[in-house]
Amino acid sequence: MVHFNRDSIVAVLLLLASGVLFWASFDIREPDYGALMPSTWPRIIIIVLAVLSLVYLVQSLRAGPDEGVAQSASGRTPGLAGFIAYWRNPLICFAMFFAFLITLPVLGMLIGGVSFVFLLMNLLGGWEPKRLVIHAVVALATVGSMWSLFTFGLGVMLPAGEIFNPFAL
Amino acid sequence: MIIENVLAAFGAIFAVKTLALMALGVAGGLIAGAIPGFTIAMAVVLTLPFTFSMPPEQGLATMVSVLVGGLSGGLMAGILTGIPGTPSSVATTFDGFPMARKGRPGLALGLGVWSSFFGGIFSAICLMTLAPQLARIGLEFHPWDYFMLVMFALTITASLAGKHLVKGLIAGALGLFVRTIGEDDAAGMARFDFGSEVLLSGFDFIAVLIGLFAFSQLLSDVRDPEVARQSLAERGTVKAKIEHLAAIKEIGKRWTVVVRSATIGVFTGILPGAGGSVANILAYDQAKKASKTPEKFGTGTPEGIIAPESSNNAVEGGALITLMALGIPGDVTAAVMLGALLIHDVIPSPNFIRDNPVLAYSIFTAFFIATFMMIGMQSFMLRVFVLVTRIRMYMLACVILGFCGIGVFALHNVTFDLWTLLWFGILGFVMRQFGFPLAPMILGVVLGNIAELNLARALAITSDLTPFFTRPWALFFLIVALFSALFPLFQEHRGRRKWTLFYLPFACFAASGPLYMMGGVVRPVLGTILIAFAGFVLWRRAKAGWQLEAPLEHAVVSDEV
Repeated sequence: MVHFNRDSIVAVLLLLASGVLFWASFDIREPDYGALMPSTWPRIIIIVLAVLSLVYLVQSLRAGPDEGVAQSASGRTPGLAGFIAYWRNPLICFAMFFAFLITLPVLGMLIGGVSFVFLLMNLLGGWEPKRLVIHAVVALATVGSMWSLFTFGLGVMLPAGEIFNPFAL
Repeated sequence: MIIENVLAAFGAIFAVKTLALMALGVAGGLIAGAIPGFTIAMAVVLTLPFTFSMPPEQGLATMVSVLVGGLSGGLMAGILTGIPGTPSSVATTFDGFPMARKGRPGLALGLGVWSSFFGGIFSAICLMTLAPQLARIGLEFHPWDYFMLVMFALTITASLAGKHLVKGLIAGALGLFVRTIGEDDAAGMARFDFGSEVLLSGFDFIAVLIGLFAFSQLLSDVRDPEVARQSLAERGTVKAKIEHLAAIKEIGKRWTVVVRSATIGVFTGILPGAGGSVANILAYDQAKKASKTPEKFGTGTPEGIIAPESSNNAVEGGALITLMALGIPGDVTAAVMLGALLIHDVIPSPNFIRDNPVLAYSIFTAFFIATFMMIGMQSFMLRVFVLVTRIRMYMLACVILGFCGIGVFALHNVTFDLWTLLWFGILGFVMRQFGFPLAPMILGVVLGNIAELNLARALAITSDLTPFFTRPWALFFLIVALFSALFPLFQEHRGRRKWTLFYLPFACFAASGPLYMMGGVVRPVLGTILIAFAGFVLWRRAKAGWQLEAPLEHAVVSDEV
């Protein structure tokens, strides 16, 4: 009987990715010159990756199922709700950074950066009134000073945004 | 020649502004190294944009200072809170924290600080004297040799993942692949752009490094909501005054530990892939083996602090030797330093030290001076560290994430770099959770184009593939790569299987072959020494009745990602 565990799933995904990438390597145009074609080196890497993934798959299948053991050891409850509860903080960080990048053209680095740090601190640390004030001060002071240093001290043109453009002042 | 260059470099570095920037860099590095989750590499990257407008000597001196400060900062958190600030100071906590708990935090800090200083000075001297010699050897390297050197670097880094060797190799291959995305350097053809214009220029490797390494580390640090809301001050005592004189006296009595550990550090640093996280454990184990009172290790013995701290500060000098002389980064921090050098139009290679001696020696001199600055600033920065420990982890993580965003954007003023940061942050985080070491992937990203470039050059010279296996240096790197691939197996079976008794002697026998092939006088002599050493080891083991060796108490596994 085949025992799948999380490592074997990763190995299968890696094998699939190797297949897709190998197929995509045929889209690389080959020039008439050069000793090493642009597709050769990536193909060598993909073949090595596929072979290693196969070894990884065999190793993981030999190891047997371990997901339940790993979950209970890490104190995680099974299911989607357990997954979200366990990974809550990293998921929030990713989502907030994604939102920061999406809104960057509108908010700009200063407002966007301060908002990102402020909201993220509230989401991770809590929304009590005292903390809100501390978070606001920390976000403004840290991002504001870093932004000022880059903008005025180093002359780096950070994204200005549409709401507040200090370069237009 | 060396003295002339050193004097010229001192002239370039000894300007008030440069020294002031270096002092700031050391201070920043000390704090960055002291905060768990805020690594040295991250501090160097965040410093990078500030140095754009500076002359190369000044900018690079500032970054080297951050590096030196960071190397010594890790001990503060490790000794006072039991949580190492960096992976390089893991072994310091074994005896540093117990000594602090016994009421001698000042002595523990003093031992750590002064051991770091002596280790740093030892490695700075090695850097100045050995780097030009290694660069001279590097001039002998042909494309086949360079290609095999990269393969060796990746294999040894993957092998340090211990029993996860396959995962380490997969990570290395993924890193090499990431570097192929975008236009290829030789023909300018688009690769794996999937019709996207932004992918044509590929991923900026600094953004990839920060995403893979820093972003994912920060998220791992705040994973547990309870821990994220704690401050470091809640985890241990953080009040102490460094006892300098008592520490110097203790170190004076144990100077052999300093020299041995610093030597281990320098040679670990020279090896591609093996960084401070390996050196500090190795030095600790060796100090314990050599000690007359090994049972005191782990209870707060001075040797247990001196050994890891002397070695981890010596590592970066060793890593810079390989980086400056061959252009191959020794560890993740050196990989970030390579990015910093490239941004300042400094391309480390065997020719670099010969062609730009003043700039090269300015970097070496900065390492030397920054080590002195570190010792002067530790006492003051300890007070700042006490303040920093009152900040809650989640606040630090949020602010650092914000800084990473600004810093990465400022590298090239491109928003795509921020997306790179996010995607590779997610990838790095997932890889960590699945037990994939990130160091091989990072080195793969950094070394990918060097490998491809040298493969192309080799094939342009001849389509014959045999030089990859018959040229002395290529063969040498192939042999050490094969033995390093077997290292996890050796580590696992050491003390339990007879074959492990033959691993080291056979590695020496095999490595001596290419040394004889290189010709001359010195290398065959080295080959003979290796054979004599292997013979001696075999004879000693035969005399002991092929008795199995005791395994290392702390596995040599690199988690320095």
